[in-house]
Amino acid sequence: MMPKGYINDMGAVSLERTSEQLLGKGAKTLIVNFADVQYINTIGVSIFTGMVHKTQEHNSVLCFTNLKKVHRDVFEMMGLIKHVKVFNNEEDALRSLRRKESNAE
Amino acid sequence: MPFSSLPEKDFVGKQEELDGLTKRIVLAHGSQARSAVLSGPRGMGKTELLKQLFGRLFWGHDRVAPFFYAPSPAVLSAKAFSRTYLVQFLSQRLAYQKKEQALLYHDGISIDDIGTLAEERGATWARDILDRYERSASEPLDALRIALNAPHLSVLATGTPVAVLIDEFQRLKGITIEGNPDPKLVSLFEEPMASGKTPHLISGNAPEIQEMAVAQGLERIPVQPLGAESAMSRARALLAVHGAEGTIPHLLLRHLGGNPFYLACIVRTACAKKVLDEKDFWNAYVREIMEGPLSLSWSAVLKDFFPDLEVRRAALAMAFMMCHAADPHPRRWFAKSLGLTDAQVSATAYSLYLAGLIRGEFGVFRATEDRVVRDIIEELYQKEILAKPRHERERLFLESLLPQKENAVHFEMTIPMVKESELVVAQCLEQIGKNLQLNEDAIGQMQIAVIEACINAIEHGKGMDNKVRIVVAVEMGRLEVSIESAGPEFIVQETGEPFGDQAAAKASGRGWGVKLMKRFADEVVFERTAQGTRTVLIKNLGTSTGARKEDTANRE
Repeated sequence: MMPKGYINDMGAVSLERTSEQLLGKGAKTLIVNFADVQYINTIGVSIFTGMVHKTQEHNSVLCFTNLKKVHRDVFEMMGLIKHVKVFNNEEDALRSLRRKESNAE
Repeated sequence: MPFSSLPEKDFVGKQEELDGLTKRIVLAHGSQARSAVLSGPRGMGKTELLKQLFGRLFWGHDRVAPFFYAPSPAVLSAKAFSRTYLVQFLSQRLAYQKKEQALLYHDGISIDDIGTLAEERGATWARDILDRYERSASEPLDALRIALNAPHLSVLATGTPVAVLIDEFQRLKGITIEGNPDPKLVSLFEEPMASGKTPHLISGNAPEIQEMAVAQGLERIPVQPLGAESAMSRARALLAVHGAEGTIPHLLLRHLGGNPFYLACIVRTACAKKVLDEKDFWNAYVREIMEGPLSLSWSAVLKDFFPDLEVRRAALAMAFMMCHAADPHPRRWFAKSLGLTDAQVSATAYSLYLAGLIRGEFGVFRATEDRVVRDIIEELYQKEILAKPRHERERLFLESLLPQKENAVHFEMTIPMVKESELVVAQCLEQIGKNLQLNEDAIGQMQIAVIEACINAIEHGKGMDNKVRIVVAVEMGRLEVSIESAGPEFIVQETGEPFGDQAAAKASGRGWGVKLMKRFADEVVFERTAQGTRTVLIKNLGTSTGARKEDTANRE
């Protein structure tokens, strides 16, 4: 998923909806790439909490990539960062997940 | 003198607090009024509030007799104190009965004079109290008990409740019996304080009062600093009194932190001239810091808490070091730096805290947030420890304080209360940052804080004028963004913070907004204004404070 611009209530709700659809189809890993996110607000971030719960319910993993420092700080402050995996970029996230899969095999 | 010299109409910015206190006292008619402590830093106007309240009750129709008392440090033997307290009470109570102001100006009135006056007025209740007192005069403890209960005894006899207003209450720790101070004597106030017919409002040095057992069960009423507009109005009123013209700089007003005493000192000094420009006010501030009544009052506090010169020098050095430390130093560090024992460091820090020169929170001592006190500490340190000459100290102060006008930039804008209009402000801020080559991280953090502040303003101001007014100012190494909208319910009076309904705010995910503003701005101020509410976000640019905040954000 690659949200753009401003993550507020509307932006986050649409993201939440997409994630629910993907989890419903059996996705085991969700990657949210924040490269094109300019601004976030606390209402938007609080909606991510719902996404975290849903991902945990489906025994899936939620990954964040390309987070700006200030956005990471916001997620940290609101206690979300400990429930997600954070990577510098999508390649790192995919590499780590592949490694994990091969270890499991 | 219980009356204030300031007419009530000039008591700008404090009317709401005065109304609140009056309402509280008037409850004494139904025996429900509760005693309380007026709490706030030095100079915040606690004494003035008590005096204004005295005037209102004395002349008003609330049928509650006021009694104002400020203990003198020279009259603290139980015998002398109880006599003075009783004489003052009876003369004020008799003056109230006939609205006879002249009686309050009688200095040196004796207990016999009061007895005669009571008889002439047919105030048998007063004569009875005096008789009881005289019978116990040989037993200082009994005499003290009767004096402190005199207001209550008068209520029992006359039915008129009494509001007991005591200033500098902490001095009463020093009441002595046979020359020995006994802090427990002040607990004799517990009984009269518990009566709903004699509510006591006490004030004085907040950290010391907080430590007194008798005050610990009392409700604390915080005395708030003046908001920006009230401070400006107060400054205008003071200038008019001195027949001077000028506008006190906005930055200086903020520097004074809404403290009415500081403001009065600066304006009085500046008014040596009749037409004042910005620089005159800053010069007046520096003069006050170096040698004016403002400086003298803090020097007196320092001497009071540290009478010994060597100990005072160590205390000053410790306060100075705290002002220049990014994080609190451990006790051992101060001990090593100042050549003191750990116990001496603890005792000095505790006294500095009681004096109001540093903060103490959760067992950790830190520099005060009061910028004026920090400047006073800096000045005293430069003068007394480093022995720097006056002209050099003055130059340093002016250089650090005078705004660099050529670098000052102001942007003003108004946004409508429509969805996502906060983004317009965030993007403007980004452009301002680029134009002025400001630190990108600092701008990024302020964008997040500003978005939250704008959302609050929109949420709380809807249905009023549907506009949010924004001012962005960059000057003196500070980025300041103020966000103002109509919104009467935005601020909780007791805390000065927004969100009356914390639970509802949390449920909607909005409770985090203020935390986030505080995390990313170095200073967040919520103010009531004539239009509604203003949130001011301040970021120090390229200073140790700014850097520290960013470091903290990275670490956690």
